[in-house]
Amino acid sequence: MRIGVFICHCGRNIAGVVDIKALVDRVSTLENVVYATNEMYLCSDPGQRKIQEVIKEFKLDRVVVAACSPKMHGATFARAIEEAGLNPYLIEIANIREQCSWVHQDLRKIATEKAFKLIKAAVAKVALAKPLEPVYVPLTRKVLIIGGGVAGIQAALDIANGGFEVYLVEKSPTIGGHMAQLDETFPTLDCSACILTPRMVEAARHPNIHLYTYAEVKQVEGVVGSYKVTIEQKPRYVDPEKCTGCGDCAEVCPVIVPNEFDQGLGGRKAIYIPFPQAVPAVYTIDLEHCLNTEKLIVCEQCYKACGPKAINYLMGPKEIEIEVGAIVLATGYDLWPIENLREYGGGEYPDVINGLEFERLLCSSGPTGGVVRRPSDGKIPKRVVFIQCAGSRDPKHGCAYCSKICCMYTAKHALLYKHAVPDGEAYVFFIDVRAAGKRYEEFVQRVMGTDGIKYLRGKVSKVFQRNDKLVVWGVDTLSGVAVEIEADMVVLALPIVPSQGTKELAQMLKAPTDEYGFLSEIHPKLRPVESSMMGIYLAGAVQAPKDIPDSVSQASAAASKVLSLFSNKQLALDPIKAEVDLEKCVGCGECAKVCPFGAITMKKRLDKKKRKYAEVNKALCQGCGCCMAACRKEAIQVEGFTLPQLRAQIYAILDAKPTKVEIKKKEGGNEDKTAIVKPR
Amino acid sequence: MRTKRRLLNLDKLTKPKGKVVFIPERCKECGLCIEYCPTQILEYSTEFNEKGYHYPIIKPGKEDECVGCGFCQEVCPDFAIYVELIEPKLQSNDAKE
Repeated sequence: MRIGVFICHCGRNIAGVVDIKALVDRVSTLENVVYATNEMYLCSDPGQRKIQEVIKEFKLDRVVVAACSPKMHGATFARAIEEAGLNPYLIEIANIREQCSWVHQDLRKIATEKAFKLIKAAVAKVALAKPLEPVYVPLTRKVLIIGGGVAGIQAALDIANGGFEVYLVEKSPTIGGHMAQLDETFPTLDCSACILTPRMVEAARHPNIHLYTYAEVKQVEGVVGSYKVTIEQKPRYVDPEKCTGCGDCAEVCPVIVPNEFDQGLGGRKAIYIPFPQAVPAVYTIDLEHCLNTEKLIVCEQCYKACGPKAINYLMGPKEIEIEVGAIVLATGYDLWPIENLREYGGGEYPDVINGLEFERLLCSSGPTGGVVRRPSDGKIPKRVVFIQCAGSRDPKHGCAYCSKICCMYTAKHALLYKHAVPDGEAYVFFIDVRAAGKRYEEFVQRVMGTDGIKYLRGKVSKVFQRNDKLVVWGVDTLSGVAVEIEADMVVLALPIVPSQGTKELAQMLKAPTDEYGFLSEIHPKLRPVESSMMGIYLAGAVQAPKDIPDSVSQASAAASKVLSLFSNKQLALDPIKAEVDLEKCVGCGECAKVCPFGAITMKKRLDKKKRKYAEVNKALCQGCGCCMAACRKEAIQVEGFTLPQLRAQIYAILDAKPTKVEIKKKEGGNEDKTAIVKPR
Repeated sequence: MRTKRRLLNLDKLTKPKGKVVFIPERCKECGLCIEYCPTQILEYSTEFNEKGYHYPIIKPGKEDECVGCGFCQEVCPDFAIYVELIEPKLQSNDAKE
C-alpha cells in the first residue's frame, strides 16, 4: 500500500493556525504513507497537477488530501486523481479547515495536534477503501414543472424547445401568475400583459408541453431519474374541448363574488374566467359559490345560455399519473397578510391596501378600467402615501430580510399614479432606496425628480382614520421633524413570502427550506438553482424574493440544468450506496423498516429453506446509512463508509489498534476519552 | 379578517332578474321554497289561504332581488310557485320608463 498525503495551506486559512511543517514531518512517519507534502493552494491548477505528478512518480495507490470540507472540493480532487489513473474513490479528504483551523484560531498547538489526528484517521480509512464504479440507473427524460407563473412558463418553454416533454402544473384556472396581474413593469414601463400573454399562449400550444391548470401535485414518489407523480385535476364543470370562451354563461350567472385575480377589488361570477386573456381560455365553475352545491336541484341558467353545451355539472376530480426524471419548483410568492400590520390599519381600513391591489387599480383591464379609485367609496384619491418596508427588514415582524422588489415597484406606482391622477400628490416613506439593477437607479431618480412625488426618509409609526381621511404619522429623519399627512389612500409594500402550499410541497419532495420557508439552494453562489435534493431545481421567487428579469434568468438556468441532466440516456449516480453481504444477512428485515427512502425490499432465497434476505434498490438508496446502524449482523454496509473503515478512523484518532481483543479491553475503561481531552 | 369592501366594478356586473309568481290556494306550508331560496327573499305570509296554511310571500323590499334560479319552482311539491325570467331587454325598457 502506497499512500500520499497532501496538506493544503489554503493561503493563511489553514497555515495561519496549523504548523504545516511539523505536520508534514509527523504525517510522513505514519504507516503506509510513502510521501507527504504541502502546497499553497491544492485546489488550484498547479496544485492539482502536483498531485497527479506525485501519483505517477511515487506510484501511489491511495491519496489523502488535508484541506477544506469535502463538500467544497471533494469532487475536484476526485477528478484530479482519476485523471492520474486512480479510481476516484481511493481518496480521502481530511477537513482541517472548517473542522480545525477555523474553529481553533487561538489554539495553534491543539489545532496542529487535531489536524494530525484527522489526517491519521483519513490515512487509516483510505487504506481500507475499495475502488468503486458509478451506478447507472434509468432516466425518464421528462420534467415536471410546478407553478405556471413567468418562471414556470420560461423553464417549460426552454426545456420543451430543447426537445423534451414537459408537464406544467398550475393550481389556479389560468397560467400567468402574479406577472399577469401587473400593470406596467419597471424600469421600462412596458405593459406586463402585452409581454407575458404571448408567452402564455406559446406554452399552451407547444407540442412538448402538457399543461394542467386547476390542478395540484398530490403525491411524488421515487428519486431523481424516475419520479412517479400523481396530479389531481379539480373539476371545472366546463368541458375545455367545447368551451369557446364566449362568456354567455357568466352573463346570466346570478352569483357575484370577489375576484381573486383582482385581489378582491372587483367582482366576478360563480362561473368565470380570471381575466380576458387567461390561458386556457376556458370558463370554470367555482363550486364554493355556485348555487348548485347539492346537485339535487340545479340552477340551469349557465347551462341554458351555453351555445356549445360545454357545461357538465357531473364532472368529478381527475387523477393523472405521470413519470418524470426531474422536477422544477416555480411556486412563486404571496404577499404577507395585510392584517398583520395593525398599526397601519391593515385589514381594518378598506383604503389601506397592498401593492398588488394598487397594481390592479392602475391596470386598464382591472376592476376600475385603470382609473385609480378608493375601495371604500370609489372616489379618486388625491393624496396617496406609499410605505416601503411595511414589515420587511423588521425582525420583530419575523421578516428580517429585504423583499427586494418593493423599492422599484413603489417608485413605479408613484409615477403611474401621477400619470393617472395628474393633480394628485404621492408621498413615499422609505428606509433607503435599493435600486440595484440595470437602469433601476436612473428610473428611481426620474421618479424622485417628478413634481408631486415626495420621498421622505423615515418610518411610519401609525395610520388611523379621521373623518373620511387616513392620517399617517411618520418622521422625516433628513429634516428631523415629525410629519402628519392626511391621505386618501395608503399603499403598503408588504413582505414577500413563499406562496401558500410551498411548505407542504417541500416536505413531500424532502427539499430543505430556510427559516422563512423559501427553498434552499445547494450553494448560494455556485449552484443557486439546484436544491440539495438531487433532481429538484428552483426557479423564481420560490427561492427568494425576485423581480421579473431575475425570475426569468433563474428559470432559464434551471432549464439548462435539466437539459444537461437529460443529455445522457442513463443517470450515473455516486456509488455510495448500501450493499448487502448475503452470507451474513439473516433476513430479519430491520434495515427495510428503518430505510427512509423505501429502497430495501425483503426477498426469499431460492434455496430449500426459503430464508429471506434484503435487497437494495440502488436508484432509491441515498447512502444515508440508517440500515447499517440498524443491522445486528453487520451484513449491510454503505460503500465508501463501511464499518471497518469507520472503526479504523475511530481507532486512529484514539491511538488504539482495531483488533477484537483490544475492543474488549477498551470497553471497560475510559482511558481513550481522556486522551482526547488532555491537551486542553 | 379584512373589513368587507364594496366591489369596484359592481355596476358592470349584471344579474338575471326573475319574477316569482305564487298560487296561494295550492300551498300546504311545507316551507321548502323558503328553505331553498339562495337569495333568502321568501317568508311566510301572516294571512291564511283557503286550506288554512301560511303561504310564501316575498320579503318586503326584496321584490327586485330574485335572480330567477328556479329553485323554488323545482322543489315545490304542489306546483304552487313558479318563476318568470325577465328578459334583459325588458329590464332596460323598464329603466327607461
